[in-house]
Amino acid sequence: MSDRLDDLERRIDELRAGVRKAMRARDGARARALRAELRTAERDWDALVSGEQPAAAPEPTPLVTVREQVHQGLRLLGATAQPRLIVAVSEAFLGGTIRSAQLTSLRRDEERSFRTAPYGRPYYLGAALTDRLSPARGLLTLSGWPLERRVVGPLSPRVDFLTCAIAVASQESEDERATRLLGRMARNIPGATNASSGALGPPCPERVIEAARAELAVHAERDTRDRAELARRAAAQLDDAARLFGAATLSTIKKEYVT
Amino acid sequence: MSGMNTQQRLDALRGATPPRPHDARAIAALAANPGCTRRALMDGAGADKDAAARHLGFPAPFGQSPFAITRGNVFESLVKADGCAELLRMLRELLGLPIAEVAYHDVENVGAHLRHAHTRALIDRAARDAQDAGTLYDHPLLTLRIAGHTAYLEPDVVAFQLGGRFHIVEIKSFAVIDGQADPAAVAAAARQAAVYVLALRTLLEELGHDPLQVSHDVVLVCPENFANRPVATLVDVRKQLAVLRRQLTRMTTLDRLLEGLPDDLTFDLLPGEDGRPTRPVAELADALRRTTARYAPDCLSTCDLCFFCRDEARQEGASDLLGRQVRDELGGVGSVAEALGLADGARDPAAGQEEIARLLRNAERLRRECLT
Repeated sequence: MSDRLDDLERRIDELRAGVRKAMRARDGARARALRAELRTAERDWDALVSGEQPAAAPEPTPLVTVREQVHQGLRLLGATAQPRLIVAVSEAFLGGTIRSAQLTSLRRDEERSFRTAPYGRPYYLGAALTDRLSPARGLLTLSGWPLERRVVGPLSPRVDFLTCAIAVASQESEDERATRLLGRMARNIPGATNASSGALGPPCPERVIEAARAELAVHAERDTRDRAELARRAAAQLDDAARLFGAATLSTIKKEYVT
Repeated sequence: MSGMNTQQRLDALRGATPPRPHDARAIAALAANPGCTRRALMDGAGADKDAAARHLGFPAPFGQSPFAITRGNVFESLVKADGCAELLRMLRELLGLPIAEVAYHDVENVGAHLRHAHTRALIDRAARDAQDAGTLYDHPLLTLRIAGHTAYLEPDVVAFQLGGRFHIVEIKSFAVIDGQADPAAVAAAARQAAVYVLALRTLLEELGHDPLQVSHDVVLVCPENFANRPVATLVDVRKQLAVLRRQLTRMTTLDRLLEGLPDDLTFDLLPGEDGRPTRPVAELADALRRTTARYAPDCLSTCDLCFFCRDEARQEGASDLLGRQVRDELGGVGSVAEALGLADGARDPAAGQEEIARLLRNAERLRRECLT
């Protein structure tokens, strides 16, 4: 038993050093992950010392960081999305464990990391850019996507919602949460739910895809045009960091009255 | 009246504290009891009614509970998620919004200080050129002049392109069960939405457009039955609009209400260095009693001073306590004691009270017959 205690103490020391290092490097996401591990280790240590059996861990500690889970979620969706949707997708298809609250500081951490060491990471989680090239509230994107996909015009929220619905419907999953998510999305696409069975039965993925494509066709042309124009402006006016995380709001006011 | 103008008198009424900004809830509450001079004066002066009530020892159990606020926010974000996907579905089903109309503008994307200017620009563009306009405007910021002060108002969503008119969308988290909702909650929501309609109409008028482009039908979104699934209904707010407009005009003519009051009257709490009020309670209560209140039981859900006024009405035995309907039936009879006196014949009806006295005596006779 003392062996295990020794092990744990060593582990706790390592984790503390790790947290300190992460804090110094201002890597908030990593610091949080390490802190969580540290707390688990400390609890185990307490339990061992007082002679109790450590309670079986209720869920295995996630092997993938929050950042990576969001990345996978966005990759699956293939369009800008709100944290709420990313969390739901990650839960339903990727066995994700993120909570919305964990995403609040994510974008800021990403931006800080990019500004201290540009392109030091294989990918960044960025902000969608609005028509004034400022960051859109609560819309996440991936740095690997073309600029056209990372800007949002007036129609883009709807277009991206439909794109996401198609992506969700194309995933095969037996998970009940996946069915529920698809049902929720299908309800808001005209013609996607079976009228005879009401909105209660599980939606048929093919039907959802077909309906979403039909509505998408209505918006596609204008949205593609808006986005191409925005992307052109973003490429011409913004530096690398601003293209990923949006320009400060004040500097782009003039633009509004020119267009 | 001496040389002071209305604004100076109102500032004197309020005293040292800075004016309290009005929000839609407060403005809507004004319309709920238009006959109350006390409230009209305190709101006109921008006095802090809540602080006054607490200082007087009648704190109102007022304001929303944090749980209700959280619940409201969660439901609102659910309705607005993914580019207002749920809202679009409801507008399509309820109002026949064309499929192509999905343009979404989040006004909050600009900084807080620019939101009002941005709202103006967007609404102006929409009113001018309906072809190119957006459909949904999220988090707009409107203004309304209330007795010389600017109040900033935030409707939940402004929807356009429903037959070329603007609609105010109000998202509320009280449930509609089996097609029925709590009438008091619906009435409050309608009054609040009327404030937004008025503000938006004022904005359009300022921009030189037809104010009637704003529909008097507001879209009320509530959870349906016991699930969290939102459902939309149209609510006609013409009546609330008329009351509100009348009340606001009345507030701009506060000088008439001020005329009968002494010049040195003030509701100042004289806050000390730590911000605590130092004014003697009795003095403040006396100052407030100089203005007439019109207490009604509904005040309990809309006004910070409700307990103070109720206590006053109880001491006077006023018929106001019994609710508006009874008060109106008892027209001309001010107190409960007077009504009872008229009923058992202990008191002779004054001129103009003959009719109500006869009714009361009849009622008393019937009551006695029933009991014996």
